[in-house]
Amino acid sequence: MQILRKPLQRAYRKAIKLGSKATIDLIKKKGLSGRGGANFPTGSKWEMVSKEKDSEKYLICNADEGEPGTFKDKFIIEKNPEALIEGILIAAYAIKAKKAFIYLRGEYDYLESKLKKAITKIKNRTGSETPIEIVIGAGAYICGDETAILESIEGKRGQARTKPPFPTVRGLYSKPTVINNVETLANVPLAMLYDDWNKNLRLYSLSGNVTRPGVYELPLGTPLCDLIKLGRPKNPIKAVFFGCFGGCIPHCDIPLHPDAICGKECMLGSCTIIAVDEKQSIVDLVTNIAKFYEFESCGKCTPCREGTYRILNILENISMKNADMKDLDTLKELAEVIKETSFCGLGQTSTNHLLNALKYFRSEFEERVKEKKTRKRTAR
Amino acid sequence: MSLLLKELKQIQGKKGYISEDSMKKLSKKMNIPVAKIYAAATFYSQLHTKPQGKHIIEICNSPSCYLNGSLNIIKYLEKKLKIKSGQTTEDKRFSLYICSCIGCCDKAPAMKIGKEVYTSLTKEKIDEIIKGLK
Ligand code: SF4
Ligand code: FES
Repeated sequence: MQILRKPLQRAYRKAIKLGSKATIDLIKKKGLSGRGGANFPTGSKWEMVSKEKDSEKYLICNADEGEPGTFKDKFIIEKNPEALIEGILIAAYAIKAKKAFIYLRGEYDYLESKLKKAITKIKNRTGSETPIEIVIGAGAYICGDETAILESIEGKRGQARTKPPFPTVRGLYSKPTVINNVETLANVPLAMLYDDWNKNLRLYSLSGNVTRPGVYELPLGTPLCDLIKLGRPKNPIKAVFFGCFGGCIPHCDIPLHPDAICGKECMLGSCTIIAVDEKQSIVDLVTNIAKFYEFESCGKCTPCREGTYRILNILENISMKNADMKDLDTLKELAEVIKETSFCGLGQTSTNHLLNALKYFRSEFEERVKEKKTRKRTAR
Repeated sequence: MSLLLKELKQIQGKKGYISEDSMKKLSKKMNIPVAKIYAAATFYSQLHTKPQGKHIIEICNSPSCYLNGSLNIIKYLEKKLKIKSGQTTEDKRFSLYICSCIGCCDKAPAMKIGKEVYTSLTKEKIDEIIKGLK
């Protein structure tokens, strides 16, 4: 696997030799882009911050991997923490950060010692003076949002901030800040060092109804069927969910590429693939995900706080065979309003899976609703 | 300020939860209004403002675990401990929480007890784990 190569601090030395500007140019030329979901060019982000006049700047490594079904960042921290730390030191050097933070999700607290060891080792070997502090979260999905991370590190409730200003202009403690995902930063030394580094390789987290779940390193554009085959499902796969936020589609032969997936009103995001086989009920699974959002909604804005609750209510009624056909329309309408009017990404994406499920698997919902009718009639 | 989260975790680590009293003390020590401390302490699902059991069990019910039978495991655990999610056993040994994905989806269903992770759970495994903790 490309992600497991060992740069052995050679990339850091190369960066020092090149200087900050040439390092940023190199990362731009290599075409490294953000792996947290947005695919923003990493070099350009660094450049924006390095051009800010402020003398105080920060780097944050986003290790708050909270999207259900995602575990690739954990994989990197466990298998190649040295490359990650080297990447952090290079990034901090390039943007002249005063300090770097690793925001580690609370659920990953047991990885702290591993990270600490790697930090000491790599700092010793490189002689870098940049302090790296690990901040451990305390369980809040929304902290994966970059502005919520800022709030959380500053010791507040992890709620999203209004953008703009973007963190690159006013980030941590109102200072210019770069926030990069674990996979992005671990790729920094590899991109700098190896001529054959492939910018299109991604880490896919495959789980659900497969017998070989795990992290698979494959290029963007890999056919979905191929990935599912690697997972060796026991039963035929019916649907695929791209995490909770990315929506769902019937299992089909599309390339795993943001553009192709976008056409299906889904998002590839951080390459999370949850396979669902034909034995499962989409209605129940969608209800399970609705529960997740109802729980994780931070409560700051009304559409998401009240909407996720209402959606869960209706879905539970449908699940319990206690709903009408017109509830399906209410559900759709509600989902659209939440999507359009929520304040942050959590709310805006919280109904993707539902809207897609209503579109592609409507018959399953209708059957549940009808079941009630038939049951009532036989009772009479 | 990033200290606040750390301090709150430390208090919880020592006392098991963050009491009103601890919040007041912390407010003086850090010169932050109690309201702000309370706001932070109640926001995060892993911070508790009520007394907890000796072992806090967080069991995942997100999609990958759900597709691999987490509901059965949760029901079994609830029956075994005679509590529901969010409650603490009478003997104060266990608190149980259904939680969101803990990143072990490739070994679902999964749960955490303290810093320990338990994966590919079965009823037999649950028996063993609970027995090992007594
Ligand atoms: S959309 Fe949801 S998570 Fe985001 S600010 Fe509103 S209530 Fe909070
Ligand atoms: S869904 Fe349960 S650990 Fe990820």
